Amino acid sequence: MAEGMTWSVTDGDKLTQAEVYGEVLSQLGDRYPDIVALTADLATSTKIGRFGKKYPERFINVGIAENSMFGMAAGLALAGLRPVVSTFAAFTSLRSAEQVRTDICYQNLNVKIISTHAGISFGQAGSTHHCTEDLAVMRSFANMTVIVPADGLETGNAVAAAMEWPGPVYIRVGRGFEPPVNKTQDYGYAIGKAITMHDGKDVTIIACGVGVLQAVRAAEVLGKQGLSARVINMHTIKPIDRDAIMQAVRETRRIITVEDHSTMGGLGSAVAEVIVEGGKACAFRKLGVPDCYAIVGYPEDLYHHYGFDADGIVATVGELMRLEIEEDEDWEDEA
Amino acid sequence: MADKVMLTNRIVLRSIMPLFKILHEEDDSLLKHFLTRFEGVIQLAVKGTDIGAYVELKDRRLDVVQGIHPSPDILLPFKHAAGMNALFTGGIPVFGGFPKGLTKLGLLVKFVTLLLGLLILMPNVNPKAPEKRLLKVKMIMYMVTNALSQLNKGGDEDMNAWTAKQPDRIYQMSVEPGGPAAYLRVKGGKTKAGRGLYTRKAPFVHMKFNGLDGAYKVLAESKDTVSATADGDIKLEGSPEYAGNIGSFMMRIQDMLMPPKK
Amino acid sequence: MPLTQEEIKGLQKKAWEIRRAIVETTYTCGGSHIGGSLSQTDVLVALYYKYLKVDPGRPEWEDRDRFILSKGHGGIGWASVLGDKGYFDKALLKDFNKTGSPFGMHLDSLKVKGCDASTGSLGHGLAIACGLALGARLRGKDYRTYVMMGDGELCEGTVWEAAILCAHHKLDNLTAFVDRNGFMIDGPTESITTLEPIDAKFKAFGWETLDADGHDFASIGAAIEKAQAVKGRPTVIICATVKGKCVDLMEAQAPWHYGGLNSDLRDQALACIDAHYKSLLG
Repeated sequence: MAEGMTWSVTDGDKLTQAEVYGEVLSQLGDRYPDIVALTADLATSTKIGRFGKKYPERFINVGIAENSMFGMAAGLALAGLRPVVSTFAAFTSLRSAEQVRTDICYQNLNVKIISTHAGISFGQAGSTHHCTEDLAVMRSFANMTVIVPADGLETGNAVAAAMEWPGPVYIRVGRGFEPPVNKTQDYGYAIGKAITMHDGKDVTIIACGVGVLQAVRAAEVLGKQGLSARVINMHTIKPIDRDAIMQAVRETRRIITVEDHSTMGGLGSAVAEVIVEGGKACAFRKLGVPDCYAIVGYPEDLYHHYGFDADGIVATVGELMRLEIEEDEDWEDEA
Repeated sequence: MADKVMLTNRIVLRSIMPLFKILHEEDDSLLKHFLTRFEGVIQLAVKGTDIGAYVELKDRRLDVVQGIHPSPDILLPFKHAAGMNALFTGGIPVFGGFPKGLTKLGLLVKFVTLLLGLLILMPNVNPKAPEKRLLKVKMIMYMVTNALSQLNKGGDEDMNAWTAKQPDRIYQMSVEPGGPAAYLRVKGGKTKAGRGLYTRKAPFVHMKFNGLDGAYKVLAESKDTVSATADGDIKLEGSPEYAGNIGSFMMRIQDMLMPPKK
Repeated sequence: MPLTQEEIKGLQKKAWEIRRAIVETTYTCGGSHIGGSLSQTDVLVALYYKYLKVDPGRPEWEDRDRFILSKGHGGIGWASVLGDKGYFDKALLKDFNKTGSPFGMHLDSLKVKGCDASTGSLGHGLAIACGLALGARLRGKDYRTYVMMGDGELCEGTVWEAAILCAHHKLDNLTAFVDRNGFMIDGPTESITTLEPIDAKFKAFGWETLDADGHDFASIGAAIEKAQAVKGRPTVIICATVKGKCVDLMEAQAPWHYGGLNSDLRDQALACIDAHYKSLLG
């Protein structure tokens, strides 16, 4: 827990991911009297309504008008307040992309955005409500910090940390029922600092969001097969922890990224950029939703369908292990 | 099951004979300068087979080449592989016919000095001079890592089973700091022995010897790794289980190369 | 309190200087949104030299009134006012549009002192103003928020989204202006997309609506003072203006939405402006 924090979520493991963030935000309301929460008719779905119950005078439900909500948030920030905006990821990053970019990021305003139902976590809703593009969009906005917490406890940590982080922050969560991967909230969360969930030497799985739990499970299976997999929770996509990535490249030479997002433009692309710029060759695979509009279904089924659940990760690791990665691959003994 | 004699022979030809090259390069005695004038090929072979390797001296360079040379200057024919193995493992070599070319005295003396040089590997040979001790450590490191790979390539079933399921892994040994180093790379049943530090990936198991003394105790005096670790002669980094496995294979190699019990 | 004749004369003199500055800067910078800058000038002058509670020496002053130019392309006109008010050295305007200059066509709030919000993409300003006005209420501040929109901008759906919100929150500390010069880039607004009746639309959305002659300070002043007194709802002042006002060759000419001036045209434009104000001020 960040130093000086007065809040705590004692029952974090009993609350859903979304509930934890709603609860944390209401607790932060005491500490930060300048927080104003905004939503666009999704107070219940995003759980930001919890804050609204406690501080009705600091809660604004704009109705179904996301663009104006982000514009208003910019105005509120310009007025010296600390707006926290919550709606579905698809609306934040696609419908209101321009307001987020031009009104908020361009002016480097202190607006914290919590986008829910990201990726294919709202699988049954279909592509209008899926959002496999938001990381690609958001990380291309200058001044924007992009965070994908692994579970509810981490969402709480991220929201709290974002309050002390300058400028706009995009926090991306799922539908809110994702099972936790952390046991406690006191594990030294810091924006921009990746967390090693499992150490290993044969391959590194870099994951964010729901991918972290899948990667940890995969590492357990791989361990039984005699493979030593490192799992890195890359909760901050921007600014990304370059050191953790390059250390993994140097030490394991095989990297797999896992995210509930298009394999174009999100975590996988961000990691790839670092690796290529690092100049050290390695074998690399991106797992996530391929270049398509995802099928409809329960999220866990979809994660499996697109091969980024634990089974898919294990299969990809196997494939990567067989790959000949040295251009000068030779098995002649030196003598 | 792989034939133990043939495995040993493989190690003799591919892991031990190449050490001649190091002896040649490291030897700066007057005798070497005298002997470099002599050029030619010395062939060791099992009679009537293509099992063998030869030493080629040319332009002050020494190379060890696997196989049979068409016209060696000196030919040492052995009756069988075991007979050749004995020459390198402290037994009594069994020749299969009379050696040829022994009249080429200069070349013969060079070869005998090389053979005597290998004696440094013997457990009971403990030189005092640091450079000799370093040479011994280095030669053992190179020989052992190479022999591990030969065990795999020669079809040792245990070794094959051990390497088959492993992903790309590096078993590194090094004298710290900055001393000689050698490694064994393992990947899905394949192996490669290499010299120096592998830089493309972090080692899966790294045996770090604490200076020359630490390395000497473990490699030359066969100090067991448990007490060596306790005494700080060696630091083992990485999976202890796999470190234990590779330690057992190293012991196996040591046994294979010991003189036959009387 | 209505503007005195003396005050009006003072504002007219200011508007004269600002219009000259717009023409001069357009000449040096190679091209600008001159038509709309000239149409908005009198409202901006009335605000900055009479009604806005601001202090150019303290651009970050928390209690200052806020002004947002939602029609951000009027940046060259706004910058001319801000420079004259002393937010920055007017001489800097000679670099307008130049590489590395703090001044581009659409002002950047992080680079231009006195610019309360970056604008340029149409349809954004009213929502930002809505946040600023609501923020004042939440923070217990009594500053007012003013926002100027273009008339063509009213095509943007987000204007009406924000209009609903301003009315819902009863933002009587917010005053919007529509610079009703009748043109968008491609021609007269009504020939492209019908906007009228603008006042009835805002009324239906719950706003107080006022009409003003956007080039008559008495009319502008009276409307602003009326708006300040309205309680329980936001006010929009629909200002009848002329695009390219005071420069004959540009007045109500769609092509002068954006353009450059050579020295002949500059002299011609300045002469027009001077003649206008000489006859007005006697």
